[in-house]
Amino acid sequence: MTTSDVHALSGAYALDALTDTERASFARHLDDCATCALEVAELREAAARLADQSWAVPPPGLRTRVLAEIANTRQEHPGSRPRARPPRSRLARHLLTAAAAVVVAAGAAAGTYAIQERRVDEQRAATVAARAESERVNAILSAPDATVRSGPVDGGGRITVVTSAMRDAAVVTLAADHAPAGDHAYQLWLTGAGRAMPAGVLPVGTATVTRVVSGTAAAQGIAVTIEPAGGSRTPTLPLVANVRI
Amino acid sequence: MQRHRRDQASRAERLSVVPPTPDRPANADGLLTAVGRGDEAAFATLYDVVAPRVYGLIKRVLRDPAQAEEVAQETLVEVWRTAARFRAGQGSATAWVFTIAHRRAVDRVRAEQAATRREEQTATWAAQPPYDQVADEVHDRLERQQVRRCLDGLTELQRESITLAYYQGCTYPEVARMLDVSLPTIKSRMRDGLIRLRDCLGVEVRP
Repeated sequence: MTTSDVHALSGAYALDALTDTERASFARHLDDCATCALEVAELREAAARLADQSWAVPPPGLRTRVLAEIANTRQEHPGSRPRARPPRSRLARHLLTAAAAVVVAAGAAAGTYAIQERRVDEQRAATVAARAESERVNAILSAPDATVRSGPVDGGGRITVVTSAMRDAAVVTLAADHAPAGDHAYQLWLTGAGRAMPAGVLPVGTATVTRVVSGTAAAQGIAVTIEPAGGSRTPTLPLVANVRI
Repeated sequence: MQRHRRDQASRAERLSVVPPTPDRPANADGLLTAVGRGDEAAFATLYDVVAPRVYGLIKRVLRDPAQAEEVAQETLVEVWRTAARFRAGQGSATAWVFTIAHRRAVDRVRAEQAATRREEQTATWAAQPPYDQVADEVHDRLERQQVRRCLDGLTELQRESITLAYYQGCTYPEVARMLDVSLPTIKSRMRDGLIRLRDCLGVEVRP
């Protein structure tokens, strides 16, 4: 992409009209180009005024529900992302979460290793596995053909999928706001023409995970369902999240 | 006493009809800054200022009141959660809120609707200028007239590119297909149209 091509994307970016891949690369460009960031801020400001054209009375009860939910919602602390560009920050945060989760897993495993002698072998295996997982995650995130897709999770939260055809794998970061109720768990699926392949079940009570999923070259998407603990062989509809890859 | 009560009554009536009245501290920048410090009362006031436009915008993009309500709730909770990231001076609080609302609405559109179905629908909607479509409970205000006047000042292609993307959540390749125009042209019209809109509205962000 030439420089002038990149600049020409500012309008479409401010209107949320870029494809996910272009959006991610333009957002990276903004970090290095103060002029572009200022232009985008101004175009966003102009675009946001279009919301003045769409005024509707919110449904009764929405105010009460929102106020009740925020009373139980922890606020993020400032400083993690200094600039006020929420969508990009969210994406960046997911990628950082993907990398950080693996690092934390490796660190936690290493710490336990020193303390609990009886479980040394087990922990060593876990540490090695976590490091291997970390390397796989990095290999996918740094692949030259890595593309980022993201979508909402029903009931709140997001799923972000970084896919590399070269590596035939994807890093899937599920960050749901809530774990499924009762004895149920999230399950990942590779979706293809008319069928779905199981791609991992989360433990019961887990709402967030970062997983490497292999065999993405032949798949069309990554989907998430809620299944009984331990998972199912075929997905139980509806899909709570679905990202095309 | 009698008069005092009447004043209160008339004020209550005005508040219910025109949310941001000059009578109350409806400075969204100040409110959002306070929300960033955990001020729930400020959030409740901010809700009253932005919720009609947040809900209206999302409903316009999604065309489904039930989904719009859900996405509006997610948006407003995200505003609470991430408010500390807002910096007055890097843009207005309302733009910050509507950016979150629009992004969430667009994410929902892209995730849930099959591309083909959306294009069919959009082709139908595109038959009439989208900004002429009157929402259920439209509400006349000076600002809105200004936006409308500024939209009228754009070329037809600029206006259609911007409204298809903003109000219907189309990507620019989708807009290019619908209007039968090349990709570089659509990208340019979105940008120069927004620049003209920015100048017409007198929008300014200080670096």
